[in-house]
Amino acid sequence: MTRRYKKITFLTGQSRPGGRAAWAMLLGCCALLASMLSVARAQKAPEASEEGKRVYEKSCAHCHGIEGRGDGSAAENLLPRPRDFTRGLYKIRSTEAGQLPTDQDLFDILTEGMPGSSMPGWETALSANERWEVVAYIKTFHEGFKENEAPRQIDLSGKIAYSEQSVETGKALYTELGCVECHGNVGRGDGTSAPTLTDEWGFRTWPANLAQGWNFRGGGDTEDIFKRFIGGIAGSPMPAFEGDSFLHFGLASEESKRLTELESKDEMTEAEEEESGKFYEKMDAAVDIALSITEGETLNTEDRQTFDNAMRVVYEKSWHLANYVKSLSPEKRPEPAIGNNVLRAQYVGGELPALGDAAWETLKASYFPVVGQIIVEPRQFNPTLDSINVKSFYNDNEVAFLFTWDDRTHTTALEDEETGKKVLEDALAIQFPVKVPQGPTAPKPYFLWGGRLPVYLWHWKASAPEQVTELTAKGINKAEVQAVQSNIQAKGTYTDGQYNLWVKRALKTDDKKDLQIEPGVFVPIAFSAWDGANGDVDTNRVISSWYTFVLEPVPSSRRFIYPPLVALLSVGALFGLRMFVRRRNS
Amino acid sequence: MKTYMLACVALLLACCYVLPIFADHHEAGEMQMLQFPESYKGMAVSNGGTISGTVTFEGDVPEMKILEITKDETVCAATEKHDESLVVGEGNALKNTIVYLVDISQGKVLDKAVKPEIDQKGCKFTPHVQIVPVGVRLTMLNNDKVNHNVHIFSSVNKPVNKQQTKNRKKLRLAGVKKAEGPVQVKCDIHGWMSAWLAYVPHPYFAVTDEMGKFTLEDVPPGTYQLGYWHEACGTNSESPATVTVEAGGTVTQDFTLSMKKM
Repeated sequence: MTRRYKKITFLTGQSRPGGRAAWAMLLGCCALLASMLSVARAQKAPEASEEGKRVYEKSCAHCHGIEGRGDGSAAENLLPRPRDFTRGLYKIRSTEAGQLPTDQDLFDILTEGMPGSSMPGWETALSANERWEVVAYIKTFHEGFKENEAPRQIDLSGKIAYSEQSVETGKALYTELGCVECHGNVGRGDGTSAPTLTDEWGFRTWPANLAQGWNFRGGGDTEDIFKRFIGGIAGSPMPAFEGDSFLHFGLASEESKRLTELESKDEMTEAEEEESGKFYEKMDAAVDIALSITEGETLNTEDRQTFDNAMRVVYEKSWHLANYVKSLSPEKRPEPAIGNNVLRAQYVGGELPALGDAAWETLKASYFPVVGQIIVEPRQFNPTLDSINVKSFYNDNEVAFLFTWDDRTHTTALEDEETGKKVLEDALAIQFPVKVPQGPTAPKPYFLWGGRLPVYLWHWKASAPEQVTELTAKGINKAEVQAVQSNIQAKGTYTDGQYNLWVKRALKTDDKKDLQIEPGVFVPIAFSAWDGANGDVDTNRVISSWYTFVLEPVPSSRRFIYPPLVALLSVGALFGLRMFVRRRNS
Repeated sequence: MKTYMLACVALLLACCYVLPIFADHHEAGEMQMLQFPESYKGMAVSNGGTISGTVTFEGDVPEMKILEITKDETVCAATEKHDESLVVGEGNALKNTIVYLVDISQGKVLDKAVKPEIDQKGCKFTPHVQIVPVGVRLTMLNNDKVNHNVHIFSSVNKPVNKQQTKNRKKLRLAGVKKAEGPVQVKCDIHGWMSAWLAYVPHPYFAVTDEMGKFTLEDVPPGTYQLGYWHEACGTNSESPATVTVEAGGTVTQDFTLSMKKM
């Protein structure tokens, strides 16, 4: 429901500023109404029926299989794989670790889909009734749903508001808890364990890139993130913070701090030994209680109190961590580089800024989303790259681009497991037409590396980070290295799950096969990118369609001469007229 | 752009429907499981017999694969790590085979005071195969100064996936309700780490040692089926050995295993 609210705010972003206040009020009311409704909305699924089976077999079984084993006819091509419902392991839940989802959880996933995976939202394709029927039917695949005990839901009431302080606390926990192992130093999913992860069924899986909250399967709101910590992501390598696995579970924050202090000492005095011993006893007691809960025992009041106190600390820490993770990503997916967001290279007087120059920070990047190439075989159904971000400067003779994209792995030479032959590596190709189409209706080359009309390409590979090769192509499999290579300077770096590629070329070259660039002319641009660790090679890649960029023309300096001149002349003429009239009248 | 995206989605869907017709439907490799009696009653056994034996490996002994250590090298790569799915010792003795009574319904009481442990030292699980009685808590030790995460791939019981951070020396895990095995234990942080568990409902389970030897003691007199499981060599669940135990006697049953067919 929070995600639904986001859609509404997204609309306000589009509305004209004039009516914004009125809109905001109206939407505020709507949101309030929606939140009230959602409380009433926590429904239970009906009894499983033939109708649920019919809808499931028509709409879901192609991926999830007739028997719900996640082995439908399309499953083979999908990663993440469709869920196997027979195991009762559901990733996106509002319930605690080891618990089944609520009916409402299942309904919400059906309705909203799972971003970043092949699971679409069914809000428009299936009626609410049909979706409830499907929920009921899916539950028949797993015995556990027959036990009538309601799953324990995660308590969200203690939410800690977003603040710098909270983000800072969360950041320390991110390292302390070992999130960094898979999600990497700044959260781009590039941790050192990332390349070897598999899920419960042995299929390859990648840790989330926390800088791209729009791809989070269960939504990118702080509450969603918090729920993933407490409940875990069942079936994936993401562990749940069930409490007892938390460092110093059972200690209050200050006690935990003190124990960390003691533990970091090379040698403890007798008194310190005793002090830390007491802490360990306290922790052991709390863990005992947590374990007996998992084992199904009922607690007495005192134990319940101890456990609740310990869990309060865990929940607090998790809120801080959720705030930190939230801080890593933009609020929503950036708008693609069209309309107002078109890539505009900015003019600079002298030398163009080099890679790492602070001048780049002054520009806003244009966002070019990419998708798997699924037109020509071999295809990429499961892309791991999301987008290319681009900034550009130019001067009187040259243009420089800064291409930035997230890739979880830095791959320069990986042997293809299937063929054992081709060497896989990360790469980027920037595509332009050879000749800029004259006028908006003039045809552009085919977006997949050209066809009848050729395209001009800059091809960069991670194994040679300071080299860009010029290609001419008349089709995705018909690219040729240009015989004459222009002087293109390039520099590529990889840090913390992100590539930065800086490329500089002269606006004009002598080669007829090259694109000639002029200020003020809109030039088509498109991208291909390869993630070697994802098996990308040749046509197996991610691509974008055509976008455009332009060298933003410099407003002419004559604007300081002509308008004042005209103004002066007009005033002069008026004075002249006045004098003329006066003279005539007198 | 929109049209293109739509076209892509349409194509993706089309491909999803068409391609799999050519794809072979393979079932996930049937997991060979241990077999447990439907019920088990614990009682005092005073005149029990002993079953012992040796498990040996037959066939060309493949060289133990050296595991590729991809991270935390200072701790994890201090010593060479080998793939322990097949450990063959002197005289072809086969280590890490679970040998157990398949069809026992009553016998000595399952000892729940045991404290089974698996150590994580040098980014390796020790032992490689561990028996955990149902309802008993397993303790995971972390003797490395690195983060581990304990991921137990149960399917009968609830899977476990818990972070054991570098300062957490001991992580106790809740006892499970149902008999299950073999269950793989992995560490997602160090993908090469692997061990196996059996959650057992009765005490007649043994794991062979370096000499390939096993012993089951205090077995009530009678005729039983003796089963085994080995990670690389599979099980004899289709034709378990039959052994007859006499009061106070010792019966020997050896096994010769070879690599299971892929």
